[in-house]
Amino acid sequence: MASTGQQTTSLKRRDSLVTREGDQLIITPLGAGNEVGRSCVYMSYKGKTVLFDCGIHPAYSGMAALPYFDEIDPSTIDVLLVTHFHLDHAASLPYFLEKTTFKGRVFMTHATKAIYKLLLSDYVKVSKVSVEDMLFDEQDILRSMDKIEVIDFHQTLEVNGIRFWCYTAGHVLGAAMFMVDIAGVRVLYTGDYSREEDRHLRAAELPQFSPDICIIESTYGVQLHQPRLIREKRFTDVIHSTVAQGGRVLIPAFALGRAQELLLILDEYWSNHPELHNIPIYYASPLAKRCMAVYQTYINAMNERIRNQFANSNPFDFKHISPLKSIDNFGDVGPSVVMASPGGLQSGLSRQLFDKWCSDKRNACVIPGYVVEGTLAKTIINEPKEVTLMNGLTAPLNMQVHYISFSAHADYAQTSTFLKELMPPNILLVHGEANEMGRLKQKLISLFADRNTKIITPKNCQSVEMYFNSEKMAKTIGKLAEKTPEVGENVSGLLVKKGFSYQILAPDDLHVFSQLSTANVTQRITIPYSGAFGVIKHRLKQIYESVGSSTDEESGVPTLRVHDRVTVKQESENHISLHWTADPISDMVSDSIVALVLNASREMPKVVVESEPVVDEAEEEKKAGKIIHALLVSIFGDVKFGENGKLVISVDGKVAQLDKQSGEVDSANEGLRERVKTAFRRIQDAVRPIPLSAS
Amino acid sequence: MGTSVQVTPLCGVYNEDPLSYLVSIDGFNLLIDCGWNDHFDTSILHPLSRVAATVDAVLLSHPDTLHLGALPYAMKHLGLSAPVYATEPVFRLGLLTMYDHYLSRKQISEFDLFTLDDIDSAFQNITRLTYSQNYHITGKGEGIVIAPHVAGHLLGGTVWKITKDGEDVIYAVDFNHRKERHLNGTVLESFVRPAVLITDAYNSLNNQPSRRQRDQEFLDAVMKTLRADGKVLLPVDTAGRILELILILEQYWAQHHLTYPIFFLTYVSSSTIDYAKSFLEWMSDSIAKSFEHTRDNAFLLKHVTLLINKSELDNVPDGPKIVLASMASLEAGFSHDIFVEWAADAKNLVLFTERGQFATLARMLQSDPPPKAVKVTMSKRVPLVGEELIAYEEEQNRMKKEEALKATLIKEEESKATIKADLPVGDAMVIDAGTTHTSSDAAVMHGDAYRDILIDGFVPPLSSAAPMFPFYDKSSEWDDFGEIINPDDYVIKDEDMDQAFMPVGGDIDAKFDEGSASLMLDTTPSKVVSSELTVQVKCSLIYMDFEGRSDGRSIKSILAHVAPLKLVLVHGSAEATEHLKQHSVKHVCPHVFAPQIEETIDVTSDLCAYKVQLSEKLMSNVLFKKLGDYEIAWVDAEVGKTESDMLSLLPLSNPAPAHKSVLVGDIKMADFKQFLASKGVQVEFAGGALRCGEYVTLRKVGDASQKGGAAAIQQIVIEGPLSEEYYKIREYLYSQFYSL
Repeated sequence: MASTGQQTTSLKRRDSLVTREGDQLIITPLGAGNEVGRSCVYMSYKGKTVLFDCGIHPAYSGMAALPYFDEIDPSTIDVLLVTHFHLDHAASLPYFLEKTTFKGRVFMTHATKAIYKLLLSDYVKVSKVSVEDMLFDEQDILRSMDKIEVIDFHQTLEVNGIRFWCYTAGHVLGAAMFMVDIAGVRVLYTGDYSREEDRHLRAAELPQFSPDICIIESTYGVQLHQPRLIREKRFTDVIHSTVAQGGRVLIPAFALGRAQELLLILDEYWSNHPELHNIPIYYASPLAKRCMAVYQTYINAMNERIRNQFANSNPFDFKHISPLKSIDNFGDVGPSVVMASPGGLQSGLSRQLFDKWCSDKRNACVIPGYVVEGTLAKTIINEPKEVTLMNGLTAPLNMQVHYISFSAHADYAQTSTFLKELMPPNILLVHGEANEMGRLKQKLISLFADRNTKIITPKNCQSVEMYFNSEKMAKTIGKLAEKTPEVGENVSGLLVKKGFSYQILAPDDLHVFSQLSTANVTQRITIPYSGAFGVIKHRLKQIYESVGSSTDEESGVPTLRVHDRVTVKQESENHISLHWTADPISDMVSDSIVALVLNASREMPKVVVESEPVVDEAEEEKKAGKIIHALLVSIFGDVKFGENGKLVISVDGKVAQLDKQSGEVDSANEGLRERVKTAFRRIQDAVRPIPLSAS
Repeated sequence: MGTSVQVTPLCGVYNEDPLSYLVSIDGFNLLIDCGWNDHFDTSILHPLSRVAATVDAVLLSHPDTLHLGALPYAMKHLGLSAPVYATEPVFRLGLLTMYDHYLSRKQISEFDLFTLDDIDSAFQNITRLTYSQNYHITGKGEGIVIAPHVAGHLLGGTVWKITKDGEDVIYAVDFNHRKERHLNGTVLESFVRPAVLITDAYNSLNNQPSRRQRDQEFLDAVMKTLRADGKVLLPVDTAGRILELILILEQYWAQHHLTYPIFFLTYVSSSTIDYAKSFLEWMSDSIAKSFEHTRDNAFLLKHVTLLINKSELDNVPDGPKIVLASMASLEAGFSHDIFVEWAADAKNLVLFTERGQFATLARMLQSDPPPKAVKVTMSKRVPLVGEELIAYEEEQNRMKKEEALKATLIKEEESKATIKADLPVGDAMVIDAGTTHTSSDAAVMHGDAYRDILIDGFVPPLSSAAPMFPFYDKSSEWDDFGEIINPDDYVIKDEDMDQAFMPVGGDIDAKFDEGSASLMLDTTPSKVVSSELTVQVKCSLIYMDFEGRSDGRSIKSILAHVAPLKLVLVHGSAEATEHLKQHSVKHVCPHVFAPQIEETIDVTSDLCAYKVQLSEKLMSNVLFKKLGDYEIAWVDAEVGKTESDMLSLLPLSNPAPAHKSVLVGDIKMADFKQFLASKGVQVEFAGGALRCGEYVTLRKVGDASQKGGAAAIQQIVIEGPLSEEYYKIREYLYSQFYSL
């Protein structure tokens, strides 16, 4: 059961079912499989393809930062869903939209879209890579904006048979969890989520429906967060005590998302502590200033608390926090609190300040969120004695380093309760370092030991295949459904498929229940013919079993009706007309009539008067008997007439008796009996074809 | 069997009264809209009062009085207690509209039909949905899914789609298919062949000029008056169409660098614009786009001044100006007062942007020719003085004592039930205290109100032994390092403080502008003084249709496109209803209903349906043909049963009987002509028929425009002499269809 390590991909016994290719669901992480960064998960089911997120890896640059897009054919993707604006979830989008063959549709929430543009423009400006390494430029971002469509929380959309909607995810403003429904199979992709309500965001919702597969983040693995209030208290205490001792506080934070939460905390703390009012708080990010308009607008994506405050005054109008453009404008006299990006201390303002302050033990650095492996911020969490500065020199690390996480990812408690309530039969872990993910997997396996839950941790580009036995249900409606049929009865009608729903209906009802309509094509064709009408009637009777004659009520001309399908009318001395409703058989009949009429006019001179052929049943029967006999002889060789009209067939000493009337065969030999029976049925079909009237 | 659907209008059929309809789906009663007119005439609510208690859910479609005005009254007095569903803007703007109405009415009369806290409590249990959110109703209405869709007309305006067992009932009134500055057009046209469509006939006789032309005329009229030193009054609604008008004026002012002042005067104007700013998700694509690109919120107004008090307007120097003031009916509110002041000056202009409600001053003024003089009642609230005041105070004191006695009793009850004063409860109490005791002295009153709140908030639960702070016996544990401290003790207390602090802090003013808050709390004893006076109407009066509803022609074409199986017509004058009914019977569908008030009509579809499973064996043999969104095939199958007792379709055991072939497809003569031309056949239209080549003619017989009716099967006749051409053209014709 608990398959560890290497994946056994087949989740269902393949041979046990007549699985059609369309029932196979494939999920492939193109990024964020056993790693954090470049989230991108590919999913395909029943020929429909969805891509979740499109991020870059913050620790790499250029092409190396992209998810493994070459594993898939971008042109086949129907829908691309982006959960939130963080770089590791959205930053390869301009590249994917502009530089690949992708031609599907892209969706994200309103707030995500607004911030996405600002964030990526900033990213393009600050990323210091050579021009060849640039994945995209400002123009690509602007062009991508036109292609991105917006979706509101809970709004259900349908594209190409794929239905999807999104839930609040917590984490950052506009963050969403996507639920995708393809032909009744539901997949939930959480993106980054948090089940804890904070100062401005709602907690992630619990979806109303349990998904069949849950693709869930595992950033924090089995760790547990301290309660929010304790974290906030630690945070404010550290800052308060540092500045009280005359130190400086550096908070390296990613410009958007969690930073706003920290600012709300600081602003409120400062308001409640007048003694701190002379100590400045700086927020060094021009980007954040620009994003404030977005935060001030999409109030409805936030929680009740903010919405109530909003009616009063905008909570994002900070009273104690001033923006800081660059380090040149920064006086650095006396204690202060500076929040600066980037969060990983790789470069930029936060690094400049760090280099300046790190050797003074009065100062403090508060790392407020998850830090990616390989960055300086990650290094200093372990409090080394020395650090390497940007200019290559080493300096002692004397400042205090605090790690207080506000990163709004779910911890183990949240993840496990979320999954317990959701009860998905399949769980896919992504967005977590291999070790954390492994621990989480072990813990979840023991948690769900009594249930038949599969927990899978695919690596990048490792496909997970699952099989869903999808039952196709159809709704029979309209005239066809006036009576519910019993077992064994026949049902025939039009099967109409739209998206993944089926309807069966009578042809007359087609226009009632769909936008399709049916048509009748009536054909009229005139043929030159100057002979006697009687001749044609006579000829037709020779060929067709049912020829009715009458006179047209309006014009009084004689008409013939062949098999109630085609009407032949003598229009004038020189013309006759054919008149019928198009359908393959009628067309065929009419063609033969046309041929007959043309023949008749050619053979006009020799009018042959023949007596009505007397259809002699006995004669017919005899003829048929002869033919059957001849045919049987050609198959079996030795065929004799036996008593009371039976045929005696002997093959290799085995004897069978065939009753021509009933088709019954008597034989001691099973094989021969079957063979004779089949042969006779075929002969019957040939000799007495299905009478036309039956159709 | 189909789902049973009954429709009972409660108000607003064969006239332009407010809208209110009861739709019952398999016994689940949905009250769709709950409107009231600007007179707040209780007599029109009689039908509602008879059924209010049986309603299981309420759906609201637009944030104006005609669609939701009666909600507070019905909740308070008629026993309506069902959950309410609406979009976020309908909730917010509807709330503001009701505040504005209440405050306007309170100024001129002893208005007692509902109070501000009735409004609040009615709106409190609204469940807010987003567009195209499929909300599954649980409990009694299990299986019913409701979904709001864009209607245009007003911000947040909703076309409701109610689905049960795959059958759609669509309620679409006051929709607008045209895209406007701040709203997208309705998505009604994307629904096809719903089982039932309920729509209004309000505009079926009206036709509108193009938007560009209408906007130009509007601005010309306004500018003419302003340039002639006149003042323009636009009587508007509180939070609906006003948004569009403001945008028109803002844009024009910005383009032409005009400096004439524009004022937007309602009791809630600043809140309205604040909320409008945060509803960008609900507005048109162009507004969203401009925000994404430039981060300029369209409702960051540069030329319009927001006022919540008429005295502020009076302080503005005299001169040309535009005032947008509520109510649109001129029956109450600021617009009424301003009209009376300005009507006598011929330079001024009163520009109506919507048709006035029946029997209102606005409607009277819109008549042709307009009346020379109108009689109006000027009412004013004046503070009590002298003897009246003393008498009032005595009365109040007596009542207060009684109430206090009652209150203590009630409070005991309450505190038993709700130990923790959670946000909504606390909130209701705040206002309660503020308004119901219209007590003698404002200062005393305030103190009272807040003391009540404090007591409410911190009243000890009765379950505790005695009203005292929690006290624990200190049986402290010690170890080698001293006393063991549990840090959680401290933290949790912190949290309690935090939570208890929040609701009291920012709520009372959270809801109102300072002005309205002061007004609400202004409890100086007062009375209403009324005087009749006759106003000479010398100013010019213009009516322009800025209602943002689809016009008659568009309604008809939309109906023909949607082609419901059954159509129910409501809301519209008798002629309009009759006209649309006649039209629809001919061109939309044969089942058109226009019920009278309280007449229940049964629009249960006579549709039969059953579900079957399609077995894998059958499906592997079916070849679908693709036609647009659809895939289609002919099936012959035998009915079987699955293990779970479902009917399933299996392949036939014996050969299928032949069936009449079906040609599926829709042929447009014009398209076919193009097609033939592209194949090198000479084609032309002659006398309604298509002449192909020299001899062959192609005709469509039967009324092609009628959809949904009996003649939906197209009849095409192809005629011609026996020739090669005939067969060639027949071949092309066949290629347009799928033969099954």
